[in-house]
Amino acid sequence: MNRLRVLKLGWEFPPLINGGLGVACLGLSRALAKHVDLRVVVPRSAPDTTFDGFTLTGLNNLRVEDLQTVEGRYRYESFARVQRVPIHLDPYDDGETTLETLEGIPGGEVRFSQTTRTQLEQFKLGELYGHDLGTKVVEFSKIAAKLAMQDTFDVVHAHDWMTFLAGVEVKKATGKPLVVHVHASQYDRAGADARGWIYDIEKYGMEEADRVIPVSEYTGRVVSGHYGINLAKIRPVHNGADPVDVFSTRKKFPEKLVLFLGRLTAQKGPEFFLEIAAKVLAVNPDVRFVVAGTGEKLRPLIETGAFHGLGGHFHFTGFLNKEKVNELLSMTDVYCMPSVSEPFGLSALEAAQFGIPAVISKQSGVAEVLKGALKADFWDVDLMAKHINDLLADEELNARIVEQAKLDIAASTWDAAAEKVVSVYRELVP
Amino acid sequence: MSDICLYFQVHQPNRLIPYDFFRIGEHAFYEDDGLNARVLSKVAEKCYLPANAMFRKLIEQSDGRFRLAFSISGTLIEQLEHHRPDVLESFQELVATGGVELLAETYYHSLAVVHSKKEFERQVDLHLQKLEEVFSVRPRVFRNTELIYNNAIAAQAETMGFDGILAEGVDWVLNGKSPNHLYRAPHVTRLKTLLRNAALSDDVGFRFSDTNWAEHPLTPEKYAQWLVESPGDISNLFMDYETIGEHQWEDSGIFEFWEKLPEAVEEAGGQWLTPSEAVDLYRVADEYDCHWPTSWADSERDLTAWMGNVMQQEAIAKIHRLEEEVLAAKDPDLAHVWAKLQTSDHFYWMSTKGGTDGGVHSYFSPYGGPYDGYIYFMNALADLQIRLKRLKEGPRAK
Repeated sequence: MNRLRVLKLGWEFPPLINGGLGVACLGLSRALAKHVDLRVVVPRSAPDTTFDGFTLTGLNNLRVEDLQTVEGRYRYESFARVQRVPIHLDPYDDGETTLETLEGIPGGEVRFSQTTRTQLEQFKLGELYGHDLGTKVVEFSKIAAKLAMQDTFDVVHAHDWMTFLAGVEVKKATGKPLVVHVHASQYDRAGADARGWIYDIEKYGMEEADRVIPVSEYTGRVVSGHYGINLAKIRPVHNGADPVDVFSTRKKFPEKLVLFLGRLTAQKGPEFFLEIAAKVLAVNPDVRFVVAGTGEKLRPLIETGAFHGLGGHFHFTGFLNKEKVNELLSMTDVYCMPSVSEPFGLSALEAAQFGIPAVISKQSGVAEVLKGALKADFWDVDLMAKHINDLLADEELNARIVEQAKLDIAASTWDAAAEKVVSVYRELVP
Repeated sequence: MSDICLYFQVHQPNRLIPYDFFRIGEHAFYEDDGLNARVLSKVAEKCYLPANAMFRKLIEQSDGRFRLAFSISGTLIEQLEHHRPDVLESFQELVATGGVELLAETYYHSLAVVHSKKEFERQVDLHLQKLEEVFSVRPRVFRNTELIYNNAIAAQAETMGFDGILAEGVDWVLNGKSPNHLYRAPHVTRLKTLLRNAALSDDVGFRFSDTNWAEHPLTPEKYAQWLVESPGDISNLFMDYETIGEHQWEDSGIFEFWEKLPEAVEEAGGQWLTPSEAVDLYRVADEYDCHWPTSWADSERDLTAWMGNVMQQEAIAKIHRLEEEVLAAKDPDLAHVWAKLQTSDHFYWMSTKGGTDGGVHSYFSPYGGPYDGYIYFMNALADLQIRLKRLKEGPRAK
């Protein structure tokens, strides 16, 4: 078998953004590079960072001249479907080029506009998830298609909806099979009723893809059930977890510590954590509950906590950097993840590496990985509270769960994930 | 035609450090000493020192006909002792002129009266002791934190031996009556209540530098005329001392205003009285029946400035819930740390009110906002609870 050549499309990439998506893309890329020739294209990369085994292209480091050889060669299809009336796809067109921006072609095709300096500039400035996210997504897909035409590869692999359009464009421009990777969906972020242009892009990307890789079986069920994607092309692959330097810190207070870690959004279920805390504290006052993270739910959560009289035992740390998170993990007794919908839930694995037993919601991917963790439906705060009380009281149970988690973590490597992903590629490129 | 009674509140709180979760259990010092010293010095330079010098001169020049009252909180006296003994000395010199009456209050400028009669009495005693020690005076008139007042508080002040008490003259209790008389609370026999004339006080305290105000600029002559023409026995001008030079800046002309006011009042035919002189001189005009606690804060004039939202309610209830345990520990340092957390400002900064009042709350807040204030306070409280626990378990553990 020839070594596969893979073009990967990502959005965040360390060290510039350290969100969950970026971390997962990096982990998977490193492991994949052992099996395939890999090029990763992202909107923005740090100019002087290099990675072993694969190349990283940030559009922010691209020059207009780099695209010269393919300008004008590609006819843009995805949007041509809505090209019955003339539309303008370059909201920031500055007239820098004398070429027409769009060209209607009989049959509904539109010729791709030439990439301008300004369009590349936008990847150097501002937020990756700013108000111009839509423009960036569209521009990324056009430039990615051009880059793809200059390159030779066997499979294109797109991560999350921001790169799905690009993936489809690359597939159409080159005829290569498309794999889309679902790290999180609009279903997780905005609930089961969420619809809108992001949902549409997600659904379109998954429909056009030859294979869909959700990060868990749980997310696979969302992909098939909520987005109506054919089960036959869904291949769940669990994320890996990079080993962390584990250490332990003596708590400065006598009480047990139960930790919630994550953005304070509806998806992560912080309100359920508060209800769980109230139930545990009612029977065991020698516990401190810590909410590490920030988000739109912070203020309502503080007020609800005060209303329940939990202040003094229910603490808010605000946003913490990695170092502080690890310090907190090093003194935590129980990790609680009551997410309403959690595609994977890497933080529970990280907690497990610190030897912390976890109480996690059944609506999470990591529940499939941590076989011993105590589980409950996210809304079942009584059961969650019972689990926490059991873990705090029963040392034997506690030790058993930590032991099982060690075995589970040992199996959760990016190498294992990469091997599964390669086998998905091989289904498409035998 | 009324006399004029002028009283200034002088107070500074002990602001907390951003006491985050990671300090709980290991960091036993909650206050931002550096910040508190900086604020104190700033206010001292802008207000306390120049205003003290000015009022001392005015008292001396008028042969004592110009006179006024101060209430200086225990927390401020302590800060002055630690950081600015020179400023404390200037207050002592001012009191020594004989033209200044000092009033009693809670040492910690707290809302103790709302939560515990015992703690309230303890703090008033502490304040009396401190005034005796620092100024060698024994006040006859009581003013509660931020003029928090109702019938029960008046009765309590009488049992504690005071002759007078200060209160806000709130419209819904006055019910059309004038604040310019002395009043008596139901069920007290001796104690007289002095009511703040809110309109006249706020003309100087709040509106003075407001260029949109129709009466701007307010001249000493015009104001003196308003004062003496205000019908009744006595116009009570009660306000924060920091309004001079700190809230109303020097360039607003506030110093020149006060410098000329005593003479302008005399020329208009008015006379200056201190609260105890007013109590001795005037009879009670009527009963002032105030059931619900009132204060001089915010437009509500009630307790909502400190107990209006759930964060404030929880924080203040929890600090007072420790009373028995703290006092039982018989550790004066610990009791002091605990009581300083009762200072009303901690709860004032947790207010989530909007509008003009909300603006005033956040102007004075040393934190990022009410939620930060709540988090730091509750973390410090958690640490205090751990110290208490360790004190109790300590001997047994060893």
